[in-house]
Amino acid sequence: MGRMRLVRFLALRVVKMVAMVFAIVVANFLLVHAAPGDPASVMAGEAGAADPQFLAQLRTQFGLDQPLSTQLWVYVSHVARGDLGVSYRQQRPVASLIAERLSATLLLNGTAFVLAIAGGIALGALAARRVGHAADSLITVLALGFYATPIFWVGLMLVLVFSVWLDWLPSFGMNTVGADFTGLAALADTASYLVLPALTLGLFYMAVYARLTRAAMLEVASQDFVRTARAKGVPEGGVQRRHVLRNALLPVITFGGIQAGQLIGGSILVETVFAWPGIGRLAFDALLARDYQILLGVFLVTSVLVLVFNLLTDLLYAWIDPRVEVM
Amino acid sequence: MNRILGEFLTTFLCNKGAAVGLAVLALVGVAAATAGFLFPFSPWDMRGAPFMPPGEMDFLLGSDSLGRDVAAGIAYGARVSLLIGAVSTVVAVVFGITLGAVAGYAGGVVDDAIMRFTEFFQTVPSFLLAVVLVAIFSPSLASIVAAIAIVSWPPVARVIRAEFLSLRSREFVQAAEVLGRSRTAIVFREILPNALSPIIVLASLMVASAILLESGLSFLGLGDPNQISWGFMIGAGRSVIRIAWWMSVFPGVAIFLTVLALNLVGEGFSDALNPRLARRR
Amino acid sequence: MSLLTVENLTVALPPGGDRPHAIEDISFTLDTSEILCIVGESGSGKSVSSAAIMGLLPPALKVLQGRIDFEGRDLLGLKTAEMRLLRGSRIGMIFQEPMTALNPLMRVGDQIAEVLKVHGARGSEGRVRELIDAVQLPDPERIARSYPHLLSGGQRQRVMIAMALALEPAVLIADEPTTALDVTTQMQILGLIKEIQARRGMGVLFITHDFGVVAEIADRVAVMQHGRIVETGPASDVLNRPQHAYTRALIAAVPHRARAIEETPKGRPVLELIGVKKTYWRGGALFAPGIAVPAVSDADIVLRKGETLGLVGESGSGKSTLARCVVNLVHPEQGTIRFHDTDLRLLQRRHWKPFRQRIQMVFQDPFASLNPRRRVGDIIAEGPVAHGMDRAAALRRAAELLALVQLDAGAAERFPHEFSGGQRQRIGIARALALEPELLIADEPVSALDVSVQAQILALLEDLRQRLGLTMLFITHDLRVAAQVCGRVAVMQRGVIVEQGRTAEVFASPQHPYTQSLLDSIPGRHWLPPVSGAA
Repeated sequence: MGRMRLVRFLALRVVKMVAMVFAIVVANFLLVHAAPGDPASVMAGEAGAADPQFLAQLRTQFGLDQPLSTQLWVYVSHVARGDLGVSYRQQRPVASLIAERLSATLLLNGTAFVLAIAGGIALGALAARRVGHAADSLITVLALGFYATPIFWVGLMLVLVFSVWLDWLPSFGMNTVGADFTGLAALADTASYLVLPALTLGLFYMAVYARLTRAAMLEVASQDFVRTARAKGVPEGGVQRRHVLRNALLPVITFGGIQAGQLIGGSILVETVFAWPGIGRLAFDALLARDYQILLGVFLVTSVLVLVFNLLTDLLYAWIDPRVEVM
Repeated sequence: MNRILGEFLTTFLCNKGAAVGLAVLALVGVAAATAGFLFPFSPWDMRGAPFMPPGEMDFLLGSDSLGRDVAAGIAYGARVSLLIGAVSTVVAVVFGITLGAVAGYAGGVVDDAIMRFTEFFQTVPSFLLAVVLVAIFSPSLASIVAAIAIVSWPPVARVIRAEFLSLRSREFVQAAEVLGRSRTAIVFREILPNALSPIIVLASLMVASAILLESGLSFLGLGDPNQISWGFMIGAGRSVIRIAWWMSVFPGVAIFLTVLALNLVGEGFSDALNPRLARRR
Repeated sequence: MSLLTVENLTVALPPGGDRPHAIEDISFTLDTSEILCIVGESGSGKSVSSAAIMGLLPPALKVLQGRIDFEGRDLLGLKTAEMRLLRGSRIGMIFQEPMTALNPLMRVGDQIAEVLKVHGARGSEGRVRELIDAVQLPDPERIARSYPHLLSGGQRQRVMIAMALALEPAVLIADEPTTALDVTTQMQILGLIKEIQARRGMGVLFITHDFGVVAEIADRVAVMQHGRIVETGPASDVLNRPQHAYTRALIAAVPHRARAIEETPKGRPVLELIGVKKTYWRGGALFAPGIAVPAVSDADIVLRKGETLGLVGESGSGKSTLARCVVNLVHPEQGTIRFHDTDLRLLQRRHWKPFRQRIQMVFQDPFASLNPRRRVGDIIAEGPVAHGMDRAAALRRAAELLALVQLDAGAAERFPHEFSGGQRQRIGIARALALEPELLIADEPVSALDVSVQAQILALLEDLRQRLGLTMLFITHDLRVAAQVCGRVAVMQRGVIVEQGRTAEVFASPQHPYTQSLLDSIPGRHWLPPVSGAA
């Protein structure tokens, strides 16, 4: 019975996701056409617009002299086949450019996310336990501080301190150029390059999760069932863990899920600062070169990642909260 | 009415954080307003030797790679930050309130349609969308304000919709219905005034995030090319950070202080409007 | 030797409250095998007393002086760890709101086992099932595996009782455990508590605001007012021969059965409801139909000029839905709602205006029924203004109405939050009367009020009804109130009117089994409050 419900839930969500992806593709299409100038030169980018042969090729390929609805259909079918266009500047299909950088971005974002969640919840719970005392004030102030600082600036400051002044950690790239590490040594090498960017991306969201957790725990702590637990004689530690924290995690998952979706968007800034070879850096280079195909492609792929992540978050929530009928 | 305002102001100012925040914002505002007076030259002018450390040669906060005055840049940059922050927030709030109110009051199919529309904007990564929009429509004050407004309105719509849904079935609204008052009167005189208080808090936080968004955009080179802004200055200092740390540090501190001040003011509003919660703190 | 002795207990309120102490110099004793009821209205300090005994006072409330002797120790002198060991094992407690009293993320069985485990006892499944069975819940195995949201309010309260009694404590503190329950469920829970108490010889400290409940279960009574105990004694003494003025006033405020005026309605009906049906759909989604919940399915009534018809039922009976159908707040899918000669159900929104003037409503929640951002004078004047009266005249009318509901004229300048619940309800009545309606629908107008205030509002309504010649549809769940106020009564159960007729007849000889069970569930129904001269 439960399995049928789960299957139905997943099927419905996949349908919604496909609809959302379609909407994004349509939005991309509209952006290309709404932009000032000829759609062909927008798609060709700055470099390609100089080559009239390429422009003519694009016009026929995307049917740019046809009515708008046909163009939309052509565009959507291209994307559905996995064809996100071609970068004239780099002379390669956008899809393959993105594919080879994706893992670097996922590594960075994944690490930052784990850091943010683990650190944020732990610190937020601690602050809620010691509300009004020194630990709470310190954590609250720090969280407020990191929340107010632009991510790219934090990155630059970390580079300044740890790379320029202290020379403990490398400041850009993903691994030491030239050195041919393998196995464990390669891992360690990449890890040393990962520290600063992951810390940068993670600190901001750690602040978000810490504030969220603290607020949620304070809210839950005043609810009736917590009073019942105390009246039963449950020791304070048990009250906090089994009753307060468990229920406080629900809003953290909901709001945290939304925030995490934005985390990927923030990685363009971090990858730029640290020259991390991910899709964010790719997008930045494309920006400088006015290579719109890549930009739109990165936008689409990132949105899909966010959708997948939202689905996982919803499943997690439905698993934890028995009141949600997965339907 | 005066009594309510007085109570509100007292609670607000008693919150030390909010008072400090207000003071910092006032400072930033003064700097923006008097920039022309304090630095009677264009911030783009070369005023001396490049890469001067802070304190030397009349450069309060140092000079950049082209000999421009960093302090002047910060003062003039305050104008851009405050302007973009305020205008984009106003646009986003107006748009969000309209959509949220229609969705919350009408319900049914209209509500569903508006919610799907809102979901779209909340799902796509907002910073990336802003980047794409500004890139495609060419950076200018107008396109930046529009882009930030477009990515910022969904939370407003959500909050207003939630308030409308809850207020619509509140008994004093039902009483207005039973008294025979018109739909317009009910929406504008009964529901809306009670729905707006969470928006005040939200708006101050939105100005803060608008400033962060703008700084991110100009850091990436998507700022208005005719206006100097803090993010642009940090971006310009990135490649020479080893020899001129002050180019990146000071504009960042300015952003940090302004955004922090706005957050503190927002929390002050929140406490003043919800005295029950505040007392527990 | 008493089981529990409270001596000179004083607890302070934080500065800025309406008095310096939450409770002042409280002393009482609880013996084994007795039920002591602490009675008082809201703000009397009764809950604070029980919280102090359990050591569960909120940090803002400090104990200033006193002793609480239990099993040879002063509870106020114990360290936190020692007190924790007593909670749940020697003293059990149950609270008022069963819907929020259980952790929504833990299975019921696990929550019961928790109280066993934290005190070192074995929390085996068998033991848990025994405990669930002991509170008369059927199918203990299914209940133990369920999450709280699948249980009703009454079931959850039984689970609470099971948890509180799991380790066979000597004392049970019950803080208004039945106030949030339906009247029939309340009777069952009271019976359960009495039965367990008799079987185990426990001492029960039962806090309530309802004298009917006191009459039903108490052995001894303590009456509290403004943080002090004003009278204590055996139940029969306090209930039938109250000494203190406040106790006498409280008992006099309990709605008594006799209705002073018998009305003879005549003439054509003012309101007729025929075949009205309203169904709600729950939980529908794409590809899956929801469940139909019939809120109103068979509820024909006739109301004549000058009558007061009571719609009586428990929560979920559909009485509020039916009332809201009459004023177009809810749209029934079928039926006729005839007001004089017009079928209201068929009217379009824009044709409703003239009828708005003739049919008005008083709402239940005094705190939610007034716009917190408008002044009282404006609130009352808004109706007439919407119907064309000019503002100055409307404000004058508001002032007259405030006098009519016995509030001073200065109230017009103030905001709702400056008034008490009873005063706000008066403002709500004034607002409804501003349009000079013929038909007044009162939706549980006194349910959210303290008993003494309740009596005042009921008296006001009766006075206004006679003076203005109002016809009233009075909705309530409290049978005693219906008996006092309504000439005719209609009993509703799950959307159906099961019985209607003249109040005296229905109460004296109920025909339908549901009506009979409702009447049997009035707590203390066999107790006749002494008529003290102040009727």
